[in-house]
Amino acid sequence: MVHLSEAQEKLKKYREDNERKSKEVLELWDSSVKHKIKQLGNDRYLVLEQVLIAACDCNRIDVAKVCLQMLLNKFPDSLRVRRLAITILEAEEKYDEALESLDKLIKADETNAQTRRHKVAILKAKCQISEAIKELVEYLKKFMVDQEGWQELSNLYLLEGEYAKSAYCMEEMILHNSQNHLYHQRNADIRYTQGGAENLELARAHYSYAILLNPNNIRALYGLYLTARSLISSQKNNQTKKNTFKKIATLSLKRVEHMYSEKKQLNKKNQLYVLETLMGSLHLSLN
Amino acid sequence: MSKVSFSTLAYCKMVAHAAKYPHCEVNGLLVAENSTKGDKLVIVDTVPLFHQCLHVSPMSEIALMQIDQSASTCDMYIAGYYLANETLDDLSYDKPAHKIMDKIVEHETNVCMVVINNRLMELNQKESALLVHTQDDGKWKRLNNSNVQIENVTLAAASAVLQQQLYNNLVDFDNHLDNLSLDWLNTEFSNCVERTSGHDMGRRLMINKSVS
Repeated sequence: MVHLSEAQEKLKKYREDNERKSKEVLELWDSSVKHKIKQLGNDRYLVLEQVLIAACDCNRIDVAKVCLQMLLNKFPDSLRVRRLAITILEAEEKYDEALESLDKLIKADETNAQTRRHKVAILKAKCQISEAIKELVEYLKKFMVDQEGWQELSNLYLLEGEYAKSAYCMEEMILHNSQNHLYHQRNADIRYTQGGAENLELARAHYSYAILLNPNNIRALYGLYLTARSLISSQKNNQTKKNTFKKIATLSLKRVEHMYSEKKQLNKKNQLYVLETLMGSLHLSLN
Repeated sequence: MSKVSFSTLAYCKMVAHAAKYPHCEVNGLLVAENSTKGDKLVIVDTVPLFHQCLHVSPMSEIALMQIDQSASTCDMYIAGYYLANETLDDLSYDKPAHKIMDKIVEHETNVCMVVINNRLMELNQKESALLVHTQDDGKWKRLNNSNVQIENVTLAAASAVLQQQLYNNLVDFDNHLDNLSLDWLNTEFSNCVERTSGHDMGRRLMINKSVS
């Protein structure tokens, strides 16, 4: 049995850290909060919202409905509560019904970003990726600073194999936050996947910048190695350039090797063997 | 190839990977032994790959190179690919990430492809959650369940993995790239399954060579 104040603290911490932790939230609800919800004071409505979402994640529709009823009693006209009711519909897989109610909410308050984002999520759940993209593009025209929105759009375009558009979204993210190494790395990942001389050059630049910002970004190091390797074999580049790329590839692998040798791990020596063969294949590809 | 069988370890790892990331799409590779090549494909082990972003290729290439290299040190080969989609009812395998499959087929003919049916990911595994496909004239064809061998002890072990939440110990390649000291060969997870099920897990993927 967890003490109420302890449970309250934990729930609050999850909310503040933006962690979903649905299973844990539901356990706390079952073990202590359930019967003492009235003792929580003003926190109680936030807790109810949190538990409702967790319950939908864990297919405990009964719990979700109990929470919803309590929230409805307090806030009968709230849009936020009505959106939670839609979340329950979604968990019950009544997508069309959910979309219908959501459209009403969007009409009721056109400035509400959450309802529009919710609509994209439901379309995605229905596997209607192209409709979801259309909706999200419309949304981003109005709410251009929503970084999560751009990130999601980038992912949706990847699902459709639209690499150029996906990279455009990533560039938008970089404009918002140019010092985040992960954005540079992802942009380079997309460029590399798309292929072609021009994109490989862009990939090289963005991987390099990601490594500059965080020398321990192993994905960027591996990525730079792969990019340099492809650039070596591209016919367009002359010998001096090829030598530079060879240096880049070797250096990034050396750095990877160094990172492996720093770590304590079970199969370290075996891992290093595998890396050495990568190095070997690099020499082969040059001759 | 008309029949495919999965070892307890291979099956448990796939199910555990999908269970560890219920909100993500996941993928991974299947591994078989060179010596058992023939009419029947025996999948002895799997390597969980990614859950974060499947649809860009660089890290898949790195993983394929490393796993191919590792497999060749213990007389095994990459014998297929598995995936679980993000949404519950999605059983498709035509998304960009799954082009890995074409690469594998280029090198091997004795392969299969597995789609995990999210609907059958139940705490109590009564039937196999796998939809197994094999190549037929360059196209993927669903293999009838009667030709997919998964033993009852395997299903029992998988149920234990799900009920006792052992899947939290599973390490995929994404986890490894985030923290290099995590072991993508999953020795610890295998031992864990072995202890709970009380069965020997048999042969598994290893790197039998090391730097001097």
